[in-house]
Amino acid sequence: MLEEEKVALFLASRIIARGNKGTLFLTIMIIAMVFVNLIFLPSIIAGVVVLFNQQTIDYSYANLVVEPREGSLLISNPTSLVGKINRIPGVVASTPRYSSGATIVHKGKSTTPLVIAIDPERESQVMKVHKSIISGDYLSDSDTGQILIGVTLAGDREQKVERTPTLGGVDVGKTVEVTFRNGVTKQFRVKGILKTGTSLIDNNAYISRRDLASVLGDEDPANQILVRTTTTGDENAMRLLLMQYGVQEQIWTWQDKSLDFLKSIVGSFDIINLISTVVSLIIAVVVIFIVIFISIVYRRKQIGILQAIGIDRRIIIKSYIFQALFICLCGTICGCILLLIVLQYLAANPLVFPGGPVAPVLETGLVIRSIISLFLVALIAGYIPSWLTTREEILAAIRG
Amino acid sequence: MIRASNLSKIYGRGSVEVRALDGINVEIQKGEFVGVMGASGSGKSTLLHLLGLLDRPTAGTLIIADTDVTRLPERERTLFRLNRLGYVFQDYALVPELTAEENIYLPSRVRGMKAQECTRTCRDILSLVGLKDRVNFLPGEMSGGEQQRVAIARALVNSPAILLADEPCANLDSRNSVLILDLIRQLNRDLRQTVVMVSHENWHRKYFDRVIYLIDGKIVPDPGAEPGTAAP
Repeated sequence: MLEEEKVALFLASRIIARGNKGTLFLTIMIIAMVFVNLIFLPSIIAGVVVLFNQQTIDYSYANLVVEPREGSLLISNPTSLVGKINRIPGVVASTPRYSSGATIVHKGKSTTPLVIAIDPERESQVMKVHKSIISGDYLSDSDTGQILIGVTLAGDREQKVERTPTLGGVDVGKTVEVTFRNGVTKQFRVKGILKTGTSLIDNNAYISRRDLASVLGDEDPANQILVRTTTTGDENAMRLLLMQYGVQEQIWTWQDKSLDFLKSIVGSFDIINLISTVVSLIIAVVVIFIVIFISIVYRRKQIGILQAIGIDRRIIIKSYIFQALFICLCGTICGCILLLIVLQYLAANPLVFPGGPVAPVLETGLVIRSIISLFLVALIAGYIPSWLTTREEILAAIRG
Repeated sequence: MIRASNLSKIYGRGSVEVRALDGINVEIQKGEFVGVMGASGSGKSTLLHLLGLLDRPTAGTLIIADTDVTRLPERERTLFRLNRLGYVFQDYALVPELTAEENIYLPSRVRGMKAQECTRTCRDILSLVGLKDRVNFLPGEMSGGEQQRVAIARALVNSPAILLADEPCANLDSRNSVLILDLIRQLNRDLRQTVVMVSHENWHRKYFDRVIYLIDGKIVPDPGAEPGTAAP
């Protein structure tokens, strides 16, 4: 190490070690709080976005959605195609679905939700609807005339004003009447009520494809095949793989299919996140600058004396930069510890959002960016005031 | 050792112009112990600040140890202060977070002395000023007299050509003042150290080889030089 830096480090280390401990502690804690502020809100927003995305994968589209070829309304021979897709490396399982609007009536209350026909066993390997039953049971492959109703669709007998049309409080064991688009009406017994926390899914109804086959007169009806892949994030590569394996139907990723409003919510959160990060960074810059500036102004006389006895201003500036960096390092470490405590707490007690529990997601990139930002700020906050003070007339600095 | 010609320092401009020093000529020889005396506002501290390169003259030339310091750029002035001058402040001006030894160590280390050599020199010089048992004391743990002795030790550590002292006894009681003045006088005699010291205490005169007396920024004959005449 160069001599100048050694002397600056010597001076900085003594001033830190023997200076006012209370002031040092408060300064470190302020920087720790600034660090937490830089990371906490973005990590909550990241958690919400992750939740939305996971809900979309688990309850709406899985990783990939196979749809009929252009010009067709149905997938031809879906069961065979499911078998073919399941043999492709990287595919966990796939399941056929038929989604269509239908009218459901219960005790004079009528609504037209999306009714999704599924193969219950296959569905449970791909989707998580089976884990969301809050009352009654999930469908089985042998079931006929049974229906699952989303909790929002089921409604509440006590609720007088409904925000969306419901069945007015249907329970497990009750019978509802479903009229399909082809005009066929069939009675179904409610086997279970499901609640995912996602209002779109909780407004749906689920029946078996076996029941739908009898309604449509088609033994294997499907307008979607949902595909679960081993890893999330490589959907585009998997889509190409499916095409290479000869799947000629249209293939979409869950991101392609995400509803526009969900995309705009995520987009809005990204904007909030960006604004929050920029504001936090500005606060960090101002706070750290003020704290270190005050500390240096307080030592103005000392800086003047050091110059008077012949200590080069570069050594003095470097010693204050070292001090600022040390304070920043301690603040960052304390901030990390505080953040870990908060994250541990929130992991045990997640924040409850409309879509479900949200745990903050700590992105390594964000943490690294925040640390680098804080150190840059500390560098500037250490440099500018000491540079200004050492440029002053020595006598003016000594007189304070 | 020191030659100042037509040295002036003017603060402010126009109607608020203050001539702190008004074209003075000073010559100080090596090994002299010179007192700078005068009433408050006479310009004695201003003269010391100019000699200590803490301020720049408005006009005139100042040559110290054969170097025209009025023309030196800032970095050279800093180096000159480090290598050629020792400055003792009225209020000791020690770094409160550094021990007695570290306060002395700092300028010698900056000058490029190796760490071990620095430590040895610091200990020697602390012994010289009678503080070898205060090596690891912080300034706040020492008396005013002890702190001023550390400040003198710090000023001497780089063997400066000139020791400048700005009322070094101003904050001390008479016992400690005598100790400090005895010490400076001893250093002046033993090391042939040139000393310029500002004082307003008449009884300090006995320590000085001669006195530069200032009134309103001008050097005048020393009124205290004649027996029985007190300085104003």
